[in-house]
Amino acid sequence: MTIIRKVSRILQNHNNLTAVYALVVIIVAAIGLISVAVGDITFEKNQLYPKTINPDSPLNPYDRGGEPFALADIKAQYPDNSPNLGYITGYLSPLAILLTKISPHLGTTIVAHPGGILDEILYSTRGLDTIVETSILFVAFTTAMFLYRRDEE
Amino acid sequence: MINTVCDEMCLPPTDMLYGSPYEFLETGIEGQALFNLPFGDIVNFLTPYTAVLFIFALTFTIIAAISKPERQVDTVFGGDACYTKDIPQDTLRFQRFMAIACGLATMGGIMAGDVFNFTLFTAFIGITNIGIVAAVKNKHILDNAFEYGLLAMIGTLPLFVGAALVLATTGTLSMWGLFNSSAAVPLFAKLLLVIGVIAEGMAPVFVAKAEITRAPGAPFILMVHVSSLLIFLRMIEIVISV
Repeated sequence: MTIIRKVSRILQNHNNLTAVYALVVIIVAAIGLISVAVGDITFEKNQLYPKTINPDSPLNPYDRGGEPFALADIKAQYPDNSPNLGYITGYLSPLAILLTKISPHLGTTIVAHPGGILDEILYSTRGLDTIVETSILFVAFTTAMFLYRRDEE
Repeated sequence: MINTVCDEMCLPPTDMLYGSPYEFLETGIEGQALFNLPFGDIVNFLTPYTAVLFIFALTFTIIAAISKPERQVDTVFGGDACYTKDIPQDTLRFQRFMAIACGLATMGGIMAGDVFNFTLFTAFIGITNIGIVAAVKNKHILDNAFEYGLLAMIGTLPLFVGAALVLATTGTLSMWGLFNSSAAVPLFAKLLLVIGVIAEGMAPVFVAKAEITRAPGAPFILMVHVSSLLIFLRMIEIVISV
């Protein structure tokens, strides 16, 4: 059997495609590991959205610093588009303020509950991301609802 | 020293964007940008190349929005009988909604001026493709939708890891910064983006395998093919240009 015939025998069954794809992912990951070892991939320290991590803050690692409703220095990619940038650095709901006082280890919990932190760098500078993400969720839920309720009538 | 490099690389001068309408972004394969649309820091744009893709996506979205579903006619052999398959109203509505959403996601992916937004729109296309294929109530079609869903889920990993690596190695995600700078995106990040888009754009393979191109999914199934084709073309442009 020629090699082409062998390959096409595997690929013609679409149930194998997931396994073939997983193999491709593994190969690419191996290339990645090699290029990390060679030193091809280096971290660029001059990030567009700089962030300092303060381990002592109860909001760690989500604390971006600054007083709410006071002007903070935030670096925008296109400053012309965000004239109000830096005026609101974060908002904590009363529950979130309570959580920050209870323990210094609840940062993720505070961010994950609704109304915890409004991260300005996300909502003001990367607003389209939040719109697209919620659109994806909306469409996914629509599909799930349609499939779940289809047999009810 | 390092700061000057970053200022040149990460922050395109604002007068380039707003000063002169003729000094737009120069991209790798298709020349100057024609138009831009800022959303905060994310500035979408169209170039002659992507404008063609955009018009193509728009045309097929309009076709999906106004067309009626195809009703398959089965002829009974050995007799005069033939019967038409009926498409339920709710399936029709759902598939049309998904086809239009898929078209909008394709147009968004084509206009995206940001690598992370491009990957988000690609994932969006994957979700809507699952919706279009899964709406047909037929066992082997649903089997295919399940297989494609698995693939699309695995594919989000390399897709978003690729975008994260672009950010980590260059410091920016904006195509305005990436297309013009000398900052090299590593081959690994490009490979991850490519295989991520391949997984999300694999839907036509499953559609063809399930033979639903002319079955009760038509003509909304067309959007699956159109979106995959266009997102591949856009991905090639990004990978060549960055």
